[in-house]
Amino acid sequence: MESTLFSLAHGFAIAFQPDNLWYAFLGCLVGTLVGVLPGIGPLSGISILLPVTFGLDATQAVIMLAGIYYGSQYGGSTTSILMRIPGEASSVMTCIDGNAMAKKGRAGAALCIAAVGSWVAGTFGVIALTVVAPPLATIALKFGPPEYTALLILGLIFLAYMSSSSLVRTLLMACIGLMLGMIGIDNMTGHFRYSFNLTELGDGIGIVPVAVGLFGLGEILATPSHKVIGEVIAPKFRELWPSRKEWNQSFWPIGRGTLLGFIIGIIPGSAHIISSFLSYALERRVSKNPEEFGHGAVAGVAGPESANNSASTGAFVPMLALGIPTGPIPAVLMGALMVHGVSPGPQLVTDHPDVFWGFVASMYVGNLMLLALNLPLVGLFVTVLRIPYAYLYPLIIMFCIIGVYEVNHSIVDVWIMLIMGVLGYALRKFSFDPAPLVLGLVIAPIFEQSLRQSLIMSNGNYLIFFSRPISAGLLIVCIVLLAMSAMTFILKRKDWRDKLAEAEAGEAQQ
Amino acid sequence: MDRRHFVAGSAAAAAALAVHPSFAQDAYPAHAITLINPFPPGGAADVVGRPFAAALEPIVKQSVVVDTKAGAAGAVGAQVAASAKPDGYTLLVHITSISGFAEVDKLFDRTPKFTRADFIPIARFVADPCVLLVNEKQPYKTLAELTADAKKRPDEILFSSSGLYGALHIPMALYMKAAGGLKFRHLPTNGGGPALTAFLGNNAQVLVSSISASLAQIKAGKARPLAQFGGERSKALPDVPTMKELGFNLEYYLWVGLFAPKGTPASVVTYLRTATDKAAHSDLFKTAIANLGQELGYQDQAEFAKFWDADAARIESAVKEIGRVQG
Repeated sequence: MESTLFSLAHGFAIAFQPDNLWYAFLGCLVGTLVGVLPGIGPLSGISILLPVTFGLDATQAVIMLAGIYYGSQYGGSTTSILMRIPGEASSVMTCIDGNAMAKKGRAGAALCIAAVGSWVAGTFGVIALTVVAPPLATIALKFGPPEYTALLILGLIFLAYMSSSSLVRTLLMACIGLMLGMIGIDNMTGHFRYSFNLTELGDGIGIVPVAVGLFGLGEILATPSHKVIGEVIAPKFRELWPSRKEWNQSFWPIGRGTLLGFIIGIIPGSAHIISSFLSYALERRVSKNPEEFGHGAVAGVAGPESANNSASTGAFVPMLALGIPTGPIPAVLMGALMVHGVSPGPQLVTDHPDVFWGFVASMYVGNLMLLALNLPLVGLFVTVLRIPYAYLYPLIIMFCIIGVYEVNHSIVDVWIMLIMGVLGYALRKFSFDPAPLVLGLVIAPIFEQSLRQSLIMSNGNYLIFFSRPISAGLLIVCIVLLAMSAMTFILKRKDWRDKLAEAEAGEAQQ
Repeated sequence: MDRRHFVAGSAAAAAALAVHPSFAQDAYPAHAITLINPFPPGGAADVVGRPFAAALEPIVKQSVVVDTKAGAAGAVGAQVAASAKPDGYTLLVHITSISGFAEVDKLFDRTPKFTRADFIPIARFVADPCVLLVNEKQPYKTLAELTADAKKRPDEILFSSSGLYGALHIPMALYMKAAGGLKFRHLPTNGGGPALTAFLGNNAQVLVSSISASLAQIKAGKARPLAQFGGERSKALPDVPTMKELGFNLEYYLWVGLFAPKGTPASVVTYLRTATDKAAHSDLFKTAIANLGQELGYQDQAEFAKFWDADAARIESAVKEIGRVQG
């Protein structure tokens, strides 16, 4: 512990060098912008700027690139709240209640809570990374295919159990997502499935075009047909500060989201996306007023925004401690480190203490910078709403198209996005929630692969899921959840979902 | 297969010759050159391609742009390059796996979107030999022990790979065949990183990986190297015997090379060979490669073309050996 503090002090000495401060700032600024722009996610942002870092040394490069990553988690909330367009995939959940808050005139408060929640989560994530990285990383390694399978089953059950719309609608959307996720090459046999001889479909349908299409384009297409959106909610500057009640409502969600996000973050996978879904579900579950969710619940912003931030920090644990990238973004960061002659792995801390501790310390500094950067800039982002839709919407559509094209330079992706936009419009008209579809799409390939890998390991024996402690534990939680919902069903008790469904039915009739 | 190669080779040569060098030679390169990287950023082709582009720029006095066209394990980028205008302004950086795509397509009765004949090899930058690893929890200390146990328990020991027919599946298939039809159970993943994760968690007991990708784990004692696939012992792992020393006539490298589309004028190819040679031997590029934990394994066109033919023959035989997987 003492040596940790000593090393951390050394790290701060490095992080506070003017050069390094500047690169941390640059990374955070670019990250925020990347987060704000729909479609251009942290992955494309980091990739585009990777060549720029060749002139820098390894520490500066990783400080700047990591700044883009966690900065984008801050920025992603802004468009979600103001325009119901997720700036990047992990902000999908923020759209729901964040935008509802904005429609109630609390846009400023939502932005502020998102920024503060992100800051708390980011800082906590770094502290946890500093202290518990090595033991946690060992646990992450224990997550083999059977544990993944169990975790994803739990995720899906959570989704169905917690979802806002009716169970049937949620499962229908999730199934469509899972089916879309089946498109592409079968990793186990090499056959192409539903690819229609398009090489681009061989890799499956990307999350970015689907998310941008469903949430971004779908929203924009639906807006002109809504008569209600005549007035734009442009919050005044003094409305930026959340009320005491809103602070109180967001205190525990931030805490829970932070912890949940970090734990999910260290587990390899699309951590920061899943973490925000799970945090949202958890908040709704523990809330005393679950019917408020979807209509501007503060907890629905605070929880997921904190979760995605601490998850993005948590994802660094296996990368730095073991040299295992847990997702595409840590993989790119690892690539950047390797270009600079630093190979992440168990030897990183001893071989390159400057890089490791400088990087960790820069994240403390960077999170402070982001808070300072985001709160004043919130006012600037709010002005975006004052732009007439006639100018703003074509611009957003352009951003969507460029952003989606930029990810893989694939015109097929743009078509997927356009088709998903039309689908998103239709779903909205029939009041389906597209979020489970996106989650299904994210989960499908990982789920299928880990299920089949597990069965390869056990030679076809399904008992493997129960013979390994972690996966057995997760499956028991699944069974308990299912039993609980069956109880409600059998006893015909009205739970919050029924109340909500009634409320929604009432709303739909209006 | 030899005939196929011969035909392919001569087709490429004929195509190169057919375009008369009257193509404005002194004008090339008149504008920016695009270097297609067929893998996600941070992948093998990317980490070599980017410093190469930086080193090439001052030599050709034009900007060299790395364009990422990732997808289908490198097939998308290769296809884009194969169908690009063969004017020397679109080049491709690709790795070992470029040789396998057409063979896999044939296996599934698909018309290959491109074959080796669609490319003119320009140069090879690096060739990182692969190393056969067992998890630290496994008892095997030598390759002979592993081979013996695998004979006793066919289809019970698991190996992970970067994917079916992927760059890390091929060497394992070569070893299984050379050791008299051994049977290991295959745990395919979707990349070198996930394959390493599955291996380190002891969910797979055996893994063939490139030396640079696994050196940190070997040094940390998490992975035990039993044999390596290079022609001679590696400087990084001087104690690990080569497959040849152990009596298996096997060689397998993860290499990165530069290609031009078929039909690129001979004069342009000549120019590129000279420029590439200079760029690859520049300090900038050499430092970048050393930073990756690799050594420059430069081969000019003639040598590389020969190496590629031999390498592709190995890969094609391995793909045939694996065959269609039932599932």
